[in-house]
Amino acid sequence: MAIDRNKVIEDMSKVSVGANKDGIIPAFNVLVNQWPAAFWNEFSKRMIEPVDDDIKEDVEGLLINAAHECGYHTGYGIITSKEWDAAVKPMVENVEDVLHGAFAVFTAWGWADAEIMELVPGEKMVVRSYNYYEADIAEAYPGKKAPRLSAHMIRGVCGAFMDLAYGGDYDSTGNSGLYTFRCKQTKGIECGDEYGEFIAVKSEEYEKL
Amino acid sequence: MAELKLTHTFDAKNKRHFLNNRLTVLHCHHYATLFTQLSLDAKDIVDGTRILQESTEDVFYNVLTAYYKENGITDTSDRIDIAVQMFSAIGMGKMVVAASDTSGGEIAMPHAYVDEGWLKKWGKNKEPVNFIGAGYTAGMFAAVFDKPTRTYSVTETKSKVMGADESRFKVTG
Repeated sequence: MAIDRNKVIEDMSKVSVGANKDGIIPAFNVLVNQWPAAFWNEFSKRMIEPVDDDIKEDVEGLLINAAHECGYHTGYGIITSKEWDAAVKPMVENVEDVLHGAFAVFTAWGWADAEIMELVPGEKMVVRSYNYYEADIAEAYPGKKAPRLSAHMIRGVCGAFMDLAYGGDYDSTGNSGLYTFRCKQTKGIECGDEYGEFIAVKSEEYEKL
Repeated sequence: MAELKLTHTFDAKNKRHFLNNRLTVLHCHHYATLFTQLSLDAKDIVDGTRILQESTEDVFYNVLTAYYKENGITDTSDRIDIAVQMFSAIGMGKMVVAASDTSGGEIAMPHAYVDEGWLKKWGKNKEPVNFIGAGYTAGMFAAVFDKPTRTYSVTETKSKVMGADESRFKVTG
């Protein structure tokens, strides 16, 4: 692997995210925000908790899809940004390097300390994370253990990054290229596991997971 | 004018960002607007827009209340200055407090992050969408005037996403 993950994380975590005079932070080809992690977790938790058990999965699906679509467009914004060109692109030799580099940026943004453990090009990716903010949702539950796997953002973004790598040309409309892969969370720190584990496969293979 | 002091740190071991020792994360307009759209789409299942507004109110009430306490900010105008600067520093846009007292007030947003993100992503909308901005405003008024959350009701009366030159919010106590 050509990507120096630690260097990318170190460089990208220092990228300036200062707001302009209008209170807007344009960076990585998107408008960035730096809000408390509690905001994202609170909204997710409050959306899922009040609904009946048989509907929780539907609401989780909406949260995952929001992250998946975000990850697709933001991921593309990241890998085509001047910040990427400066810090990551010189190390990139192939599409797998792009994926490893994207997860290093993903980590530098504070989404999760997430790393690819297994990659079958065009078929499957296994990501593991030993630290992610979505696991903090467990603190609100008895015994600090959440009743459900809750890393909807990581799930969505893992699927999206596989879309970008192997789902064909980027489509800004999202009509093609998006949702060619889907990701399942199989372990979660929030539920007492040692780490979070995420498996992304082609959409047609998803139900077999 | 009181000046906001923000210290950013990155915990290299755990890969986490902090602003004034409070855990933050970088996200983008896609995620914020998709959460907003999700809150609207889920209306038949759950009151998503209320949840989005109240989640924002609670989180930023806590952020501002902690800041005021840690920095000994007690004067109302200083508190408003800090809240307005915080709003911009974290990328929410630009806020102007047109009127404010314990009974409510009015806020203008010449730049509103959610609206500008929405316009960039989808274009104009027929209804206001800045539930996050409204929630911040409600939390800010509660924190500034030492009131509990849900004291203030915030309604968006003018919206950039609908084509207005600025967004405006009416605050009633």
